[in-house]
Amino acid sequence: MHTTTMNFQIEPVTHDTVVIRIGKALDFRNAADFKAAAQEQVCSGVRSFILDFNDTGILDSTGLGSIFSLYRQVSPMSGQVVFASVSRPVQVVVQLTRTYKVFRQFPSVDAAREALR
Amino acid sequence: MSRHSILIVEDEHTLRRILEYRLGKQYDVRTAANGEEGIERVNEQLPDLIISDIMMPKMDGFAMQAALQERADTKAIPFIFLTAKADEASQLRGRRTGVDDYITKPFDIDQLLSRVDRLLQRTAQFQNQLDARIGKDFSEKLMPKRMPEASGYSSWFHNSPREHGGGDIFDWTEPRPGTFFITIGDVMGKGLQAKFYAFSFLGYIRSTLHTMLRTTNSPAELMKRVNQVLMDDPPLEDTFASLLLLKWEPEKNLVTYANAGHCRPVVISHRGAEIVPYSDIILGLDANAEFKDTSLSLQPGSALVSYTDGLLEQQMKSGGQLGEEGITEAVREAFGSRQPVDRLIQHVLDDSEIREFGDDILLLWLQREAEREHASDRPAPRWFSPFGEGQGSGHGAA
Repeated sequence: MHTTTMNFQIEPVTHDTVVIRIGKALDFRNAADFKAAAQEQVCSGVRSFILDFNDTGILDSTGLGSIFSLYRQVSPMSGQVVFASVSRPVQVVVQLTRTYKVFRQFPSVDAAREALR
Repeated sequence: MSRHSILIVEDEHTLRRILEYRLGKQYDVRTAANGEEGIERVNEQLPDLIISDIMMPKMDGFAMQAALQERADTKAIPFIFLTAKADEASQLRGRRTGVDDYITKPFDIDQLLSRVDRLLQRTAQFQNQLDARIGKDFSEKLMPKRMPEASGYSSWFHNSPREHGGGDIFDWTEPRPGTFFITIGDVMGKGLQAKFYAFSFLGYIRSTLHTMLRTTNSPAELMKRVNQVLMDDPPLEDTFASLLLLKWEPEKNLVTYANAGHCRPVVISHRGAEIVPYSDIILGLDANAEFKDTSLSLQPGSALVSYTDGLLEQQMKSGGQLGEEGITEAVREAFGSRQPVDRLIQHVLDDSEIREFGDDILLLWLQREAEREHASDRPAPRWFSPFGEGQGSGHGAA
């Protein structure tokens, strides 16, 4: 079955860094779309991902799993995945799974851009 | 959302474009101008439904449909004939095995759309039911038939898998008389895939425990090994799981655990309820992850309540998720009841947005019986870690 990948707004920062706006929810309904969108970026040479959680009210385990997959894919290629403007519901999930040890967090997308530039 | 894909096979250019335009609003549409091209399109990617003309150059609709019927991978694709041949003989020829509908030109486009929609819905329903049956079968096989038992303790367990829920794991073993290892986990993802991973992952955990329990008694060491398996083994590459490994020694009234990003248990006594705080990173992310054992001595009358994220993420009337605070509150409410797990579930459902669980839920309530004569002067549960603040003496001995 074909899947549309138009649901995520992606904005280049450098030739190998992008910001992906996660939007209101990343869960079992759109995790496959996220995976496909991120995959397209990896194929075109992107290695570092800034995920913007500013408006995100829902991050379930399927959604988090899709972020983990991305991390496992890019980390052997010296890539990274960082979190920006982490909303309260996302913070709860990150705390519970203790994944702040792997995903650096920044107060804003601008701060993340600055650090990754 | 993923969209259904439809293949239109029609030799008349204008009609092909009209269909492409109207159906393209709801579906991913590809087109072909005759039967030969139609088969090429099918070979590139299997569509969810085919709408085909009959009279076409090179290969007509009947020949194409017959060819697709010959193949196991294409014979079940819903198929609609769309044709000007309104005479009865053609209709009869058109109504044959594998053809779901037969629409004659001129036709009403809205009628065609509603038939397409109905046909796709029915196919999806069938698929869902099949998934549900397989999923339920997996879930049932994932759960042990018996519970661990020890004198001086009571335990209550609840598991209600949802057809389209996640991959909850529960297992236990008693490698030496009086020492139990209890595994509670949740494989990330939803539906059949998660259940399938949970099923194979549990196999890995069982064999790891079986091998390693000969040489170690530490949940943390086992956890480290299980994490390495997840990191190294290609079939499990995309598998992430939270896991709680409990070593329970009822005679010492001691539980030693390692927690890899799993929902944190609650400990409850007549003094109150609190979250068991320490945990480490979830499995499958970091090859060098370290895990730590933490021990808890269970006082008379106190209980340890473990669960999976289906409970934590339950949507409540208040608008938010149940969360750790909500669970702590529900445990407090259920404490002292003769059926604490049932009571807890009722309490949560009473305050839920919808009176059913949105995901798999799994609950284990392990309670030490009260020694009535001393119960009131015992201290509340204490926490200590073998690597922690100098209170390590209680760490479960090998």
